[in-house]
Amino acid sequence: MNEIQNSKQLRRSSASVSAIESSCFGFVSNFVLRISNFLPVVLFSLAGPVLGAYEAVRRQPVYVGVRACAACHDGAGMGYQCSLWQQSKHARAYAVLARPEAKAIAELSGIPQEPQSSPMCLGCHATGAHAEDWEKDETFRVEDGIQCEHCHGPGSEYMTESVMRDRERAMAAGLIMPAARDCMICHEVKGSHVALHDRTEFDVLDGLKKIAHPTPAKSRLPQPRRLPQGESQSDLAAHVGVFACAECHKGPDKGYQFSKWRMSAHQRAFAVLTTEKAYQIAKEQGIQEPPSRSESCLRCHATAHHDPAGGQEDTYSIYEGVGCEACHGPGSRHAEQARRANPQTAGLKEVTKQTCLGCHENAHGKPFDYEQSLARIAHPTKIAQTAEKPRYKTPLNLALSPDGSELYVACEASHTVIVVDLAHRQKVAEIAVGGHPTDVAFTPDGRRAYVSNRLDDTVSIVDVAARKQIGTIPVGDEPHGVLTDRAGKVLYVLNTSSDSISVIDLATHQEIKRLAASRGPWSLSLSPDGSQVYVTNTLSRFVPFRSPSVSEVTILDTRRNVIEDRRSIPGANLLQGVAWHPSGEFALITLNRTKNLVPMTRLLQGWTITNGLGILWKDGRVDQVLLDSPGMAFPDPTDVAVTPDGRWALVTSSGLNCLGVVDVQKMIAMLEAASAHNREHVFPNHLGKSTEFVVRHIPLEHSPRGLLITPDGKTAFIANALDDSLTVIDPDRWEPVARIDLGGPKEITTVRLGERIFHSADNTFQRQFSCHTCHPDGHIDGLTYDIEPDGIGFNPVDNRTLRGILDTAPFKWEGTNPSLQRQCGPRLAVFFTRIQPFTPEQLTALDTYICTIPRPPNRYRPLGAPLTDAQRRGKAMFERTLTNDGRVIPRENRCITCHCPPLYTDRQRHDVGTKLQYDHESRFDVPHLNNIYDSTPYLHNGIAPTLEEIWTVYNPEDRHGVTNDMTKDQLNDLIEYLKTL
Amino acid sequence: MAHMMCLLMCLLPASSDAAAAPDRLPYVYTGWRHFTVENGLPNDHIFAVKADGPKVWVGTENGLARIDKAAAKVEKVWLEKDGLPWRVVTALEVCPKTGDLWIGLFGGGLARLSGGRFDHWHQLNSGLVNDVVYGVAIENNHVWAATTAGASRYNTVTGEWTTYTEKNSPMEEIWNYGVAYDGKEKVYLAVWGSGCLEFDTRKENWKVYLDPDGEMEIDLYRDDGIIHVIVTGVSPVEDVLWLSTYFGTCRYDGRHWRGFYAHETGLPSDFTNNVKARSVNECYFATDKGLGVVAHFPHESVVTYTRDPNTLRGKAQIFQAGKLLTTVDMETGTPHNFTIALDVDGNDIWVGTGKGLGWGIGNGYYPGIRENPAWLARKEQ
Repeated sequence: MNEIQNSKQLRRSSASVSAIESSCFGFVSNFVLRISNFLPVVLFSLAGPVLGAYEAVRRQPVYVGVRACAACHDGAGMGYQCSLWQQSKHARAYAVLARPEAKAIAELSGIPQEPQSSPMCLGCHATGAHAEDWEKDETFRVEDGIQCEHCHGPGSEYMTESVMRDRERAMAAGLIMPAARDCMICHEVKGSHVALHDRTEFDVLDGLKKIAHPTPAKSRLPQPRRLPQGESQSDLAAHVGVFACAECHKGPDKGYQFSKWRMSAHQRAFAVLTTEKAYQIAKEQGIQEPPSRSESCLRCHATAHHDPAGGQEDTYSIYEGVGCEACHGPGSRHAEQARRANPQTAGLKEVTKQTCLGCHENAHGKPFDYEQSLARIAHPTKIAQTAEKPRYKTPLNLALSPDGSELYVACEASHTVIVVDLAHRQKVAEIAVGGHPTDVAFTPDGRRAYVSNRLDDTVSIVDVAARKQIGTIPVGDEPHGVLTDRAGKVLYVLNTSSDSISVIDLATHQEIKRLAASRGPWSLSLSPDGSQVYVTNTLSRFVPFRSPSVSEVTILDTRRNVIEDRRSIPGANLLQGVAWHPSGEFALITLNRTKNLVPMTRLLQGWTITNGLGILWKDGRVDQVLLDSPGMAFPDPTDVAVTPDGRWALVTSSGLNCLGVVDVQKMIAMLEAASAHNREHVFPNHLGKSTEFVVRHIPLEHSPRGLLITPDGKTAFIANALDDSLTVIDPDRWEPVARIDLGGPKEITTVRLGERIFHSADNTFQRQFSCHTCHPDGHIDGLTYDIEPDGIGFNPVDNRTLRGILDTAPFKWEGTNPSLQRQCGPRLAVFFTRIQPFTPEQLTALDTYICTIPRPPNRYRPLGAPLTDAQRRGKAMFERTLTNDGRVIPRENRCITCHCPPLYTDRQRHDVGTKLQYDHESRFDVPHLNNIYDSTPYLHNGIAPTLEEIWTVYNPEDRHGVTNDMTKDQLNDLIEYLKTL
Repeated sequence: MAHMMCLLMCLLPASSDAAAAPDRLPYVYTGWRHFTVENGLPNDHIFAVKADGPKVWVGTENGLARIDKAAAKVEKVWLEKDGLPWRVVTALEVCPKTGDLWIGLFGGGLARLSGGRFDHWHQLNSGLVNDVVYGVAIENNHVWAATTAGASRYNTVTGEWTTYTEKNSPMEEIWNYGVAYDGKEKVYLAVWGSGCLEFDTRKENWKVYLDPDGEMEIDLYRDDGIIHVIVTGVSPVEDVLWLSTYFGTCRYDGRHWRGFYAHETGLPSDFTNNVKARSVNECYFATDKGLGVVAHFPHESVVTYTRDPNTLRGKAQIFQAGKLLTTVDMETGTPHNFTIALDVDGNDIWVGTGKGLGWGIGNGYYPGIRENPAWLARKEQ
């Protein structure tokens, strides 16, 4: 088949699914999907006077691939546009993701996937990365990297010559003529890329010059091209083209062979025949016709002309230049065998030095060093192994086996549970569990342990005797605390990100019910009589705009496994640790009291963020006391435990790296002696009271988190998260008596150093808080802050997540900080920490760590999963260009214009009509939308607790996208789609 | 005459139940207690009632209340000032798994009372299709809301809302009056002007029950389908559907329809606000003129409870195949003849009316019919 036939077939394959006029019976599933997304428009059209007219039916355009474009856009008469692209970096954009640097960038950005599989990377390194499969014609290849349709839009509806000759009509059919600004969606400086490539700015005008591909004034379509006819001998295989080879020879398990070819000069071999130099060489050799048409040139510049073959299959295209088959021989038989899972080399040529010399020897007078060249195009199936990076343990929480012989320690970074023998106080085993294990609990008989895996949304079932994970139980989003009831019949799992409690039947390991917690359920504690479980919640409930936090302890009735009560904790947030007093009269919780409604300058007075304990009495009363004292804050209280005799309470401060010892009797006596007014209004904010009951501060290692006291009260163990160790405390002496090494690497990497800085309060005035305080575990505290010293209530801003933020600069809602270095540099010292800024080394380490805080897998669309029907309809709403009544939505007011993939932000500031009376700015940074569902509230001031309210309440004039014409179900669909990003 | 007797004998149904003697009577609630604003309810217009073990939830025109049955007292009331998100409570349902109370609000959307905390979903902050909620049902992990602009199905685990309207279901009209789950796999919607819609939760498809007589308010052909398309309530029980409409009530056993008109059966009125089945043979209908009960379907036994607005004495009339068998005079009965809300609570029943809540105390309750029942003896004493 010749090239023009190829191209016709390409066009037919697109047209067959797009053009109604071609066949009334040509409705394929692709078409049904395409048209169903625009059903309202279709119905509208059918009601109009142009009933049945093809033009009235708007179809969803699909990607057709660069070879479909090339059918017209190449040849001298079209300025060799396709060949110009073939020689550009855009054509290699996908392939470069195979480089080690790409992996390093992904790692730095907290992207856990292979770059060539990551929608985030592919968003700027491939075309149509965010389109579903049905939105891509069979001729489309993601491996083409950034091709025509990335900038000009999917081509199915404007690709025909008749449409393309009329620019207005073509644009109405989806053709985009991009502006320089559009280039910046991908080319805006990205911190991750700067770190690896040291490129700080992109000169868009220079870039446009490099990819210039003007259509000549007197353009003419290329003449049909004839490929060599198949040889008469029937035993010759046919050429299948590189993309057929790539079906197997692509991924890391094959050494990225396709990508290596794609980055080589071989892939440009045909395209370079269109250059002036090629014309010059041809002229010197007496060739009159254009080099790209000359058999003499093509013999070494195009696979199909290289050796005799049995013709070309449809998958072959001359634009591949010198493809695999130029050296290995026509591959149709090999490919067929491979498809039959019998990938032998039958039919392939042995490649020798002579294979290369056939073209390269004395080629155009260029010297050819075979060994060097071979090394340059080497494409072994096995890639060189790189040295493994240190893998820390990061112990978070721990549990004691019922027989008291072993400690199980959940280690977040190593994805393991470490077993510590108590008699010898040493690590004896390490059990692989799920991703980011967070908490662990034993059954009362000690035969099983259950581990919450925060990254995987599962609970691991561990056979204690075998020291092995024997299964997992799916639960809600980001499970944290786990605990069994007294009888060992059910397991309670706190789903931190989905605000719920899974109740698991331990006989069947099935979830039997899911109870509603508050926001961010964290830890739980069983009452001494076993009748109740108290659950702390880290985030405040939603409160009216600019109102103090109200957090919740959720009380679960273990008899019926229902929520029995919800205790409100006014003015507090970040409720984390919880422990019952052995008397059963009260429970203690750790808490913060964040004064987010007044400017943070109050730090100097010691009361921006205070830290304390809540005392939850059996009769419903709640008291709060502070653990801070003037000049001696107790930042980030994380866990609490009470000695069996009830006399002492131990509290970890992860920001101060210490253990506070509370004399419970004194604290209770102080409360009992106080008036109700003092208990309710004075003690919760009184910095002087803690000296009456906090009797000791015991230094610990980096970032102490979980805490446990043995039933005999003789030993306490504390998990030092960022030291990979446990500290052993003797309560008789109140001092550390041992450090149990959990076996983490001794080397402190830049990221680990940054993590320690992030979690330490050493860099705030009087050590009042750490970065972790407002961004617990790199995420959100759900609060709206009044930061600037511009008066109370001016410019309140929502606290944003740090997950996956590396490439989303600028920072701050006003977009005034172009980099994390700026964001975390002196400005932080001026407005937040009120102390000497970080040293350059500290700042580098901190920023490096922040960049690596990963974005968890999307809960609404697992990687590679198709969209649900509702999500697919929502995607059409997100990308729509017309209102329900057929009006064109201005480009600047479409969702996808400002929230463009892959980050779903154009990283610019826009006025979307959300400025309130006390805001000084009206234009705000466009937030990225990745995992938007888990960072409530929304808008710059956090005024919208739900996604719906962004449009139902705060977009009355259609300035934040055109949404007021949407029906309720359309808005629901849009939101279902937004959750998948 | 003998011939006539023979003919009558032949016309008698073959069923032994149906052939019962007139003194084989269904159970009659002769003991009633009333709850009104005078003894603690926040409002006398009762729109919803739901029994929940030892407690009973009551939805009124201005607030939510909880009755402690053991103490026979209104133990707690929630008004808007107490956190109730909207004053008018029109639907109540208790989630059997979590124990949470789901609340339909007339104009205020949907709420959940869990551990003393109200959570609120409405059309501005959630995917709920409309804020006028008439009915609520719990189906597995989903909460259904029957609203004036379609039905919403909320997945409490994933947070996804699905809307059902004329666009994606056979809902000819979108004014949904009621929703009920059969406990197995079917959810039924009672729709004004669109009959009853059956949703198969496994296959996620619909089946529609319409009146073959169209929208006519007379039954051209008896028992050919649902009695009228203006359906106000549906109550599935053991593969039998009981339905209420504004033009009569009916029963469907999966094969046969049976309609009930007031003038033929003794039911107090055709204008039926609500329905609650106790079994395949026993069902309660809240009408504008009293409480009607199909007390024993095979026997065509009907009991009608009314209250004299002047004397305030209650009356229960027992019919068999439309024939009045006996009348029971009672000290009191339902609080008011305009009845709108119902629940069956073990042997007891709860009836929400336009003037308070009635608690029918089922001492000695029995299903079906009996000779010389104890309640009759009590009455005669």
